[in-house]
Amino acid sequence: MHPIIRLVKRNITISVNPGFLIWQVIFPLIWIFVAGFAYSALIDEVSFGTKNLSYPAFLASGMIGFNIMNSTLISGIIIWNDRRHGMFEQIMSGPFTRSNYILSNITTIAIVGLVSAALIAAVGYPVFFQSVEFSLVTIPLIVFSSIVGAILFGSIASIISARLRSSEGFNVIINTVFIFFAFVSTAFYPAAGAPQPLATIFYLNPLTYLVDIIRAGIFGTITEFVILEMVVLVVLASILFVIATKLLTKMDF
Amino acid sequence: MKSIFARSLFKSYNEINAVDGIDLDIDDGQIFGFLGPNGAGKSTVIKLLTTLIQPTSGKISVLGIDTVKEPLSIRKKIGVVLQQPSYEPTLSVERSLEKYGMMWDIDKKTRMDRTEELLTAFNLVEIRKKRNEDLSIGQRRRVQVAREFMHDMDLLFLDEPTAGLDPTARRQLLDFLKNKVKEKNLTIFYTTHVLTEAEYLCDNIAIINKGKIITVDSPNELKKRFGRKKTIKIHVSSNTEALGNLLENIQDCKIEFNTGATITIHSTDSEVVLMSILKILNQNNIAIDDLSAIPTNLEEIFLKVVGDSNASDNQIS
Repeated sequence: MHPIIRLVKRNITISVNPGFLIWQVIFPLIWIFVAGFAYSALIDEVSFGTKNLSYPAFLASGMIGFNIMNSTLISGIIIWNDRRHGMFEQIMSGPFTRSNYILSNITTIAIVGLVSAALIAAVGYPVFFQSVEFSLVTIPLIVFSSIVGAILFGSIASIISARLRSSEGFNVIINTVFIFFAFVSTAFYPAAGAPQPLATIFYLNPLTYLVDIIRAGIFGTITEFVILEMVVLVVLASILFVIATKLLTKMDF
Repeated sequence: MKSIFARSLFKSYNEINAVDGIDLDIDDGQIFGFLGPNGAGKSTVIKLLTTLIQPTSGKISVLGIDTVKEPLSIRKKIGVVLQQPSYEPTLSVERSLEKYGMMWDIDKKTRMDRTEELLTAFNLVEIRKKRNEDLSIGQRRRVQVAREFMHDMDLLFLDEPTAGLDPTARRQLLDFLKNKVKEKNLTIFYTTHVLTEAEYLCDNIAIINKGKIITVDSPNELKKRFGRKKTIKIHVSSNTEALGNLLENIQDCKIEFNTGATITIHSTDSEVVLMSILKILNQNNIAIDDLSAIPTNLEEIFLKVVGDSNASDNQIS
């Protein structure tokens, strides 16, 4: 078996535990089926592109991007945990190269991101199925953006893991990053209608781009703006991926 | 064949030599002890030999392969237990072993067999379902060492593997290692602070201090070379009052009065001193209750060698 596949198997084994699964499934379910329907009393419909969506449908589609961000940040933390628990040195003194290690982490992140997206899409489907408009273009777009988003957030987690040494610093940074990405985005509420400064800040957050693209893919409302968002997402993911790879390559013992 | 060969090996950090011109020649099938005080450079040497870091200068070949040119080829043939703990916190003990075997591409049947064998050999059967994060330091260390035997290797690096182990577990590990060397002609590079371990286990020992190897030899030869002073103890219980006066002209001996008196000889000529004392005791009708010779141990040699090395460094500076 190829060393990268062996490391991916190992990464998935150590990442996928009951706590992770509960976090990945129960947390979005609560958002979709509790918060989504509870807030329906306050938010009747949300305008998205040419469509008006029910709030649960809007939220469920946003939770796909949210879950990709959430799961890949956690997967990206594998590097942090490996350093913290001595496994990075142990793996590097075994039959693996640094490239094997980096590529296995990226692959793990992409797999976890895609599975998370599929999981929430399946769970949320009853909520948004009435407005769904899939086509031959939109499904590949959703899959591609999910992978790009996974690499982007995985790279951010990898950069934080490679740069920080203290547990306290790491926890503060990763929680701050998580809260910013999760709540200063269009995952839970639309940018339109928000105060202008806040709406602008939404677009400093890559999760906004990811969520917008996935929503556009699901509801068939791909506009020029969405394509521009796709380009921004790809460029940003590429830059962060290169930085993460360089930092991981230089990580010392 | 040489398992490890190093010449003029240097590793510098910020112009300080952590490893300062080391030469090593270690034959196949040997247990080689690497002793030194904290910060002497032991772990840095292990990291160099296991290709984790590159030397500033010098040549290293491990199992006949150049560590700079073909590090991966070396890492495929060695096992490494590093000084710091390494574990997957959420995995159980048995899954840790099994997954580690998978990482080394060991087939499933062999993995299962070896897991059972190692759980027994390292006394881990009772805690096989426990997660690593719930283990004590000693238990985690045992898992870490056991895990390395999931895969085949020609050379094993053990960096203070018994740290945190109780005496029983420590002895079990040392015996396990001895057996593995016999069974598989394994070469072991072993660092430790516990000198009795090195004495029990190692064929040859190097003592390192401040990045330099001070001496290399077998434990017995080291004792011959550095353990020239022998200690002999004589215990007497009667007529002890006059002992002080009787032995006042004998050098290299001291008397301790307890229940009777204990005469301790610590000399390069212990036998000669002993004969003189026995003669005096005989002439004065003082009966000997007990007489024992204490062999020189490696700890004394270690302290002497490292102490001499520090003293000569201080003189130079």
